[in-house]
Amino acid sequence: MSRAVSLASSVAWVGFLVTLPLWMDNLYFLHVLIIAGIFIVAAMSLNLLLGYTGQLSLGHVAFFGIGAYASSLCSLGFEIHVLDVPITLAPKPVWFSMLVAVTFAGLCGWFIGKISFKVRGAYFVIVSVSFAEVTRLVALNWLELTQGPMALNNIPFLKFWFPGIGDVDILGKVPNYYLVLGVAIVTYVIIRRLVHSRAGRAMIALRENEPLATSVGIDVTRFLVLATVVSAALAGLAGAVYAHYVRIVDPDVFLFIYTVTMVIMVITGGKGTLAGPIVGGLIFGILPEVLRGFEVKPELQWIVYGVLMILIVYFLPDGIVPAVRDAWKRWTGRTGAPPAEPTGTAVPAEARP
Amino acid sequence: MDQLLQHALNAMILGGTYALLGIGLTLIFGIMRVVNFTHGEVYAFGAYMMYMFVMLIGANFIVSLVLAVVLGVMLGALIEIVLLRRLRGADIDTTMLVMIGAGIAMQNSEQLVWSGVAKSINSPFPSAPLVMGAVSVSWTRLFVFAVAVVLIAATYALIQKTRLGKSMRATFQDREAAALMGVRIDRVHTATFALGSGLAAAAGALLGPVFVVYPTIGDLASLKAFAIVILGGLGSIPGATIGGFILAFMEELGAGYVSSGYRDAMGFLLIIVILLVKPTGLFARKERIG
Amino acid sequence: MHTKTAKLALAMLGATLLAGTALAQETIKIGVTQPLTGAFAASGNYVAQGARIAEDEINAAGGVLGKKIQLVIEDNKSNPTEAVATVEKLIVRDKVPVIMGAWSSTLTLAVMPKLQEYKVPMVVETSSSGKITTSGNPYVFRISPTSEMEAVAFKPLVAKLGIKKADFLNTNNDFGIGSAAEYSKMLKGQGVAVGVMETMDPKATDFSAQLTRIKASGGDTLFVTTAVEQVTLILKQAKELQLNARIITTGGSNSPDQLIAQAGDAANGSFHTVFFPPWFPEVVTNPEPAKRYMTEWQKRGHEPGGLTEGFRGYDGIFTIAEAIKIAGKAEPAAIKDALWKTKVKGVYGNIEFIKQGPAGNESGQNIPSVYLVKIDGGKVAKSGL
Repeated sequence: MSRAVSLASSVAWVGFLVTLPLWMDNLYFLHVLIIAGIFIVAAMSLNLLLGYTGQLSLGHVAFFGIGAYASSLCSLGFEIHVLDVPITLAPKPVWFSMLVAVTFAGLCGWFIGKISFKVRGAYFVIVSVSFAEVTRLVALNWLELTQGPMALNNIPFLKFWFPGIGDVDILGKVPNYYLVLGVAIVTYVIIRRLVHSRAGRAMIALRENEPLATSVGIDVTRFLVLATVVSAALAGLAGAVYAHYVRIVDPDVFLFIYTVTMVIMVITGGKGTLAGPIVGGLIFGILPEVLRGFEVKPELQWIVYGVLMILIVYFLPDGIVPAVRDAWKRWTGRTGAPPAEPTGTAVPAEARP
Repeated sequence: MDQLLQHALNAMILGGTYALLGIGLTLIFGIMRVVNFTHGEVYAFGAYMMYMFVMLIGANFIVSLVLAVVLGVMLGALIEIVLLRRLRGADIDTTMLVMIGAGIAMQNSEQLVWSGVAKSINSPFPSAPLVMGAVSVSWTRLFVFAVAVVLIAATYALIQKTRLGKSMRATFQDREAAALMGVRIDRVHTATFALGSGLAAAAGALLGPVFVVYPTIGDLASLKAFAIVILGGLGSIPGATIGGFILAFMEELGAGYVSSGYRDAMGFLLIIVILLVKPTGLFARKERIG
Repeated sequence: MHTKTAKLALAMLGATLLAGTALAQETIKIGVTQPLTGAFAASGNYVAQGARIAEDEINAAGGVLGKKIQLVIEDNKSNPTEAVATVEKLIVRDKVPVIMGAWSSTLTLAVMPKLQEYKVPMVVETSSSGKITTSGNPYVFRISPTSEMEAVAFKPLVAKLGIKKADFLNTNNDFGIGSAAEYSKMLKGQGVAVGVMETMDPKATDFSAQLTRIKASGGDTLFVTTAVEQVTLILKQAKELQLNARIITTGGSNSPDQLIAQAGDAANGSFHTVFFPPWFPEVVTNPEPAKRYMTEWQKRGHEPGGLTEGFRGYDGIFTIAEAIKIAGKAEPAAIKDALWKTKVKGVYGNIEFIKQGPAGNESGQNIPSVYLVKIDGGKVAKSGL
């Protein structure tokens, strides 16, 4: 795709999404889109690690859950006792809580990145899974802070101040739809800029050939940690948005199955492509509702997901977006269009620090 | 003191089945380089087969156990032949994604077939426990422990004494060299996955009557098997055996003296600490298995 | 490319949604959210089975307001966030005017803000936490007893059973914590010493650590509050550890017949509070509906152990149907007002709602009967109350 076509299609796509609530009065469909959008943000953040650095992080839901809990607890306030010393936090505004959540999730990312990139491959995967499981068990058992299995309920919603309009309650479907859309666009832009920066090229070089990248002087751990921090912070943002939309959070937010959902979205859409998680997220966000229309049981739906995941790995290992792009290239190549510019997945020979 | 003895006894008995789970997983990783996310689902499969034979068909308990393990072995062979054989030589992430997909499909098939309601399996042993001074243990648990020990010993014997075991060890050390020496790698892989799965199914079939069976029991079983294997070092069978007992002791003592809620967290905390201190696990021996 | 995918999906979705509304015209939909999978799955499925019996019975008798009723049953997976999602679906997508749910107290408390947001009433068929009807949510109508009612009803038995020192083992959710708090308060008022108060995660299966500490505490009676799956395991493991205390389960979700079938002789000697005793249907307030319900339950081949749970769903749907009749239309506000006037001769007893909670925002609360039974020699026997 040439730059102009790409820009035009982006604008058309965003325009379509912005005007959607104006002509779509089905609130339930908006709800489905909001949840899909939140998971798309989380999947985009996972893609940064999985797709661009090649690290299979199977504990990604930990950052999502930490963001959700941090933002909820900060906006609800809490009182805990550490060694009989009471620590209290008065309820803070929601926008502030969300910032805290993003920062805190990023910090956790930094910590995990620092300790776990000592190990790679299977060890890294198992450490990341274990980390998510530990966070779940803490959320389940630290009753004083998290209410454990009783969940944090009645989480306040976000209020936004707009010049000329004043305070707007982000409550109900339409405002939340726009919030999620805004967050998704911001996330997309952040990841796009990062990937196209020098740091991003270094990450890709790492993925393609780590020994070579190291030999030309790329500081492996530094870039991996940077990717983890950004990825964790964005996942935390998705978690915070989720918490203030559904307004209840319980320890099952840390379940492995949510990480798997994100992984399926990324690899189906195409890991290491900017559009991949969006395409994958839309498919797997909307598919359950379509399947439900055909009276498909939820178990059967998950069986379909599992089988689909296997088939994608076998037959479409790069995902939908690269496959479609290749088909498009072949088609435009035949009709004499100019050759497409290199994309983010190509190995950048120029990646030198 | 009585309480400590009781906890230690419970841990010994739990440790046997944990070791079974861990040995199965570590064999598969060591020889095939596959992080097996279906391990917990095969464990659940073993437990459900036990339920089907004992409770629905009314078969003898021991016969049911044998059948559950045999079916677990067959399921393992099937997974290897259908899903993994064509991925020979693929990187570890690729096989892992396929195994995750298969795990999801298996778990939800279990839920579809058996519903989400927990199933209980009656054991034929007397419910009055064996009392030894201040501590006591049920006959069912003693049986579970005895069978686990027998299975562990049999696995060791298989790997050390048989031709198949020799091929497995050769493949573990150097796949290419083994292939050149005439070892049929396909066969070794199928046998390994079948054996590992059989051990997981055995663990499920043994613990099913002690606890209850429900579709998501495999999740925690998988995670615990990972913890055990990391503890012992990926690919080390003695490591997995000892790791199983260490995890059981950590859990029992953690639940008894720290907080019962954090029982399941012990293993994962241990993993994180161990990988920080000694990333290859406690007993990693790269040069050989067995 | 993306646009095309989305449009296609949108079109498919639109088609399925249209199909849904076309069907809706002929029936009155009633939403049900129950734990059909997860930690409370056994009980949730029993309640759903009971609700189906009521649905068929009502429709066989001509339905309500000349239309058939149609249950839309959603699985809340024993999880509070999922419970909220099911209620969101039922109200926004299926447009149900009234809901029955959500079994566990934690699940019910989780969905209550949604009821208030969308102004849809809910009949609570099982939950026992006091908070549900005292927090000022006017959309909640509970037909099951609160933990406090249960504890007060139990009071005369303290002396009769000779309880001197009691220990507790309960789930660390609203159901377990609420019940343990009410029972320990009542017991202390009767001069009973309270030993250890142990908790467990609703998904836990190994209780050896808690039971070892309870054994060390040495009370004569252990009060257990959780669903039937965990009760079974606790009875078995208590026997393995030679815990000699008398075990009494509270909350009424103990399904004694299932305990006998699954825990075997480990169940002997244990006591259980139930809100419907199918072994002696002659003692209940309304034997008529109880017999109809039991006959149909047997005819459908449901688990006998589920009888003590399924009637909650049966009564819940009858209560809702009666309210719709009184309201004269299937609209949330009208049904909510009608529930205050609803009187049903149910299995729970004579169901009607008294006001509880802060003035102006009261919730409805029914006052059902409580029974205590004992398992002896593999059979259920009467035991006072």
